[in-house]
Amino acid sequence: MECHELTEYALGRMGSGPTPDPAVLRPDTAKKPDPMRNELDSHLAGCAACRAELALLEETWETLGADAGLSVTPEFRARTIELLEEEIARRRIRAFRPRSRSVRVLAQAAAILVAAAAGFFAAKGGTGSRPAGTAASEAPGDAAASPDLSGNPRLANVSYRTDPDGKIGIEFDATRRHSVVGRPDDPQVSKLLAYLLSRNAETAGEKSRAITLVSENFGPGAAAASPEIVRALAATLKRDRNPGVRKKAAEALASFRSTSEIRSALLDALANDPNPGVRLIAVDALASAAKEAPDPKTIESLREKAFDPSENGFVRARAASALKAIDL
Amino acid sequence: MSRERVRRGIIHGAKPFAAGNVSAVGREGVAGGLSDDRTLLERIRRGDAGGAEELFERYAPALLRFADRMLSDRDSAEEVTQEVFVKVISRAHQYDGRAAVSSWLFAIAANACRDRRRRDRGAAVVPLDSVGELPARGEGIEARLAGREQRAAVRRALESLSDEQREALVLARYHGLPYVEIARVLGISVGAVKTRIFRAIENLKARFSEGEASWNAMN
Repeated sequence: MECHELTEYALGRMGSGPTPDPAVLRPDTAKKPDPMRNELDSHLAGCAACRAELALLEETWETLGADAGLSVTPEFRARTIELLEEEIARRRIRAFRPRSRSVRVLAQAAAILVAAAAGFFAAKGGTGSRPAGTAASEAPGDAAASPDLSGNPRLANVSYRTDPDGKIGIEFDATRRHSVVGRPDDPQVSKLLAYLLSRNAETAGEKSRAITLVSENFGPGAAAASPEIVRALAATLKRDRNPGVRKKAAEALASFRSTSEIRSALLDALANDPNPGVRLIAVDALASAAKEAPDPKTIESLREKAFDPSENGFVRARAASALKAIDL
Repeated sequence: MSRERVRRGIIHGAKPFAAGNVSAVGREGVAGGLSDDRTLLERIRRGDAGGAEELFERYAPALLRFADRMLSDRDSAEEVTQEVFVKVISRAHQYDGRAAVSSWLFAIAANACRDRRRRDRGAAVVPLDSVGELPARGEGIEARLAGREQRAAVRRALESLSDEQREALVLARYHGLPYVEIARVLGISVGAVKTRIFRAIENLKARFSEGEASWNAMN
């Protein structure tokens, strides 16, 4: 063995996994016979420079072991598992595809035929046929009534769409596939959305999609959010574990015309939310509402935040500049 | 002895790589059988969240440590680790079985780390104070500080290496991947892997020798 081959050989032995260990180079701990070993040993016996080089190499390899590395924290684990579950759920959810015009026409024609047949049999005094209206309303694909939500049913595979005519479409599986279509201010649509937000959505992804639909269809220049929706968003802002979801809920509330309930939810978030991003949204929303109608509680909360040394620097700065902008 | 024999010696020393026989990620890795790994990927493909969770439990520690050693920042390392698993979900159908699942995961992680470093290049580097885990309670404060200093010194030494040298060395030293597998992970030849590790060690030897006095004082 030549001197210049030593490092390459030694590294080859150490880095030949699965257990990189300089000990493989020592005669007494070598685990398996290696034809190179004898050559290495005899070379080392007569070459002081290589002995020193090998010692340095081993030391370097061992020294690297001082870096123990990180371990997975329970928070990181929980956060990632939730993210992965959402990602898988997102891929499972079927894309919401509105029925094509031809299918809709055929469905309507079929409904008319069923209604006509039912009328015919009813006129003949036949029994067992259902009223035409009921049959039509339960035909799949029609704007059926929302199912009874009092029993907290689990609505699965929820998908949303906003039609060009301003109507919202919500499709989901309960005991069967439902499709509820209506204007955002329709009480049935509002009730269903509030239910989806507050009780049904289990993952952050489901909640985020419901909040996005609400943000897009309620607020300035659109329908006013119902008290049920505001309550659902306020509860999400207060209790959801995921800061991304809470931020979305805060943004949605911030986009609505300010009410005492919305202000109260945002004040609570400003005082108690652990995430500075959520608190920043609360500062902006409260400041914006206070500019139009100064409210003592809001002003006091912003002042507290601006002077709180333990508060995040961005939140403090934003609260201070918001106070300056409010005409007191 | 000829260079060729040395080369063969090295390769014989390494575990021969084949898709079926790499069942561990090494000393900081996990013992996940390849067939188990493939079953998990199949479950992920079918939309089974439990499969993703099991794969996370199995590989997250090793991937997190790899990313941390490449990026020297816990937050970035956690983000990259998450990114790897999200990509696994979206690309599970692309896994062709030619390499071990562990190699595939490390390849995704190595690419993600490179992207991250490219993106962050130019941004100020904030060295991490708390490199690695703190020693267990009960150790003396001096021992704790010495251990902490030593870890930080190793981390600084790793940071002094080029990205290419560091990723090859980290995979070999901390994850115990054979050269052939590192070559697959990084998409380079076995010769290039050896060269990178050789140069990395030469750099580290010089660095550790320079700081020998202070290093010994810590021990």
